[in-house]
Amino acid sequence: MKNETYQDRLLKTFRAANPCLMWAFFVVLAILPLVVKSEYYLSVMIICLIYATLAVSWNLMVGYAGILSFGHQAFYGLGAYFSAIMTMELHLSPWIGIPLGGCFAALLSFVIGFPCLRLRIAPYIAIATLAFSEILLVICKNWVSLTRGEMGLSGIPPLRDFSLFGLFPVVFSGGAKVPYYYVMLSIFFITLLFIYFQTSSRVGLAFKAMREEQDAAASLGVNITRYKLIAFLTGSFFAGVTGAFYAHYVSILAPDAVFGMGEMVEIVAITLIGGIGTFFGPILGAFVLVIGLEALRGLADYRLMIYGAVMVILIIVMPNGLLAGFNHLLEKARNFGMFRKARN
Amino acid sequence: MTSFPILFEQIVNGLVLGSMYALVASGLTLIWGTMKMLNFAHGELYMLGGFGLFFGVSYFHLAPWMAVPIVLLVIFILAALLEKGLISPMLGRPDWDVGAIVVTLGIGIFVQNFAFKFWGGDFQEVPYMISGTTSFLNITLAWHRIYILSLAVIVLVAFWQLMKRTRFGLALRATAQDIEAATLMGISYRRVYMATFGISASLAALAGTALAPIFSVNPWMGSGPLIKAFIVVILGGLGSFAGAILGGFIIGISESLSVLFLGSGWKDLICFALLIAVLMIRPSGLFGGKEW
Repeated sequence: MKNETYQDRLLKTFRAANPCLMWAFFVVLAILPLVVKSEYYLSVMIICLIYATLAVSWNLMVGYAGILSFGHQAFYGLGAYFSAIMTMELHLSPWIGIPLGGCFAALLSFVIGFPCLRLRIAPYIAIATLAFSEILLVICKNWVSLTRGEMGLSGIPPLRDFSLFGLFPVVFSGGAKVPYYYVMLSIFFITLLFIYFQTSSRVGLAFKAMREEQDAAASLGVNITRYKLIAFLTGSFFAGVTGAFYAHYVSILAPDAVFGMGEMVEIVAITLIGGIGTFFGPILGAFVLVIGLEALRGLADYRLMIYGAVMVILIIVMPNGLLAGFNHLLEKARNFGMFRKARN
Repeated sequence: MTSFPILFEQIVNGLVLGSMYALVASGLTLIWGTMKMLNFAHGELYMLGGFGLFFGVSYFHLAPWMAVPIVLLVIFILAALLEKGLISPMLGRPDWDVGAIVVTLGIGIFVQNFAFKFWGGDFQEVPYMISGTTSFLNITLAWHRIYILSLAVIVLVAFWQLMKRTRFGLALRATAQDIEAATLMGISYRRVYMATFGISASLAALAGTALAPIFSVNPWMGSGPLIKAFIVVILGGLGSFAGAILGGFIIGISESLSVLFLGSGWKDLICFALLIAVLMIRPSGLFGGKEW
């Protein structure tokens, strides 16, 4: 159907998202460390969760609010560097550093968001935000006294141990992955909950109106400036929190690891391949892509070639992402044989 | 205070760099003007140009002036096939804007890692087109830089004439303005798109062959010019040919002057800041909104 718009398709895939499977997926995530004992698999899962959170927060800006930002890695890096420097220089607890990292990223998102408010054509916003993150990369590489430049920060303190309800000690030192997994999972779930409630409220409606037709939305009383800034603020806050977690998790930071364009490419690819503008698509995309890339590690130099090729093929073959493709298959299976429901 | 000859040399360097940015950026703006897509694989086509010249000179022992046209022809055919195979299936789809970006990003990643795997990550040297320097009034200039500048002027003028004077240019401009009306006039927009992609790729590859002797050839050489070219097209106004040329020279000169005054680590800061400053004053770029 050629007359069907992008948004129609998005709505369809959103409706078609299967809530039972989604909940099952979340439950599996919650009990995973009880089953999987391998530190390696857990570390892969933590990376999955990091990219899922980044993709979900990017999707809020692009898929829901229609702001084609290519500077999401800037917020990720800002959160990471801010929390790392705060905890190293001022000896703050990383537990305070992580939300502060998010707040700092959100604060700076005003600086990035403000010049973008007047830009109407998507590529202008994309390149302007990309330019901002490149500026931050240059600053990060050259402000050696603060960030140690290309050498990178090392020895970022790990999360502090605490005891749950005064009974169960939670130990982060010593490299155990399980506590980190649960911290990242909590950040992921909080992000999902916040974005779920935000997008199903009036704000979400305003986002959708803005995405579809900015002038029409404005004429109906949607304050475009306000909602664009809200989208920037929310997206950047969660990216910043994720970045701050990442800094304390890996304990070393280099400019290119967080501010580099490669991060952006990964976030965009994950969201597009999973299904942009859908709730579950970016999550699915993150797990498929990160695990897939990890599985290809044995192929050494061919790995990134395959990654590029798969990216191209998936986008061409599955226009609405894996989620829609998956739902399409599910629909077919349901209409087949004994699974067919009696419909009027 | 910097002496006049050094300042003058830096300005010439800026002009040389700017003319190449203008070439790469006019390819990008051409694709945006006709197909309404951002080509993130453009930097890799620039890189292929550099590698093409390297292989032509060191493996096939061609003279550089013979190798360049052959490289351009090969890149033109390659890019047209790429468009036919991977871009045109996306045409007319509702996710065209972001989907095309991801497809070109994927192509870029593939080509870059292909080059790394099969051609190696070493920095390869390519001979100058014309070696030696000339000097007048205390100012020394490399012949190669004079070659680049004159090449850029000739190619950009020829390209402009192609757009304005030929039937192909007319077909291309018609397709850019109204694809349905153009189709009704008997223009095959798919063929126009293929040719557009090919020409745009050849412009990038030409810049690659011209700059390869100055910055050596390696698989990652395209990413810098790609970002710069994006800055240039947005600064000049997407889709505007004049904007791409003026923007190219602005970015090139400001980059080389900031090397002189700020040091090479901070040079990239200036052009990004310049872009944001321009966008705050003129949200559609210097020449935005004008058709060429």
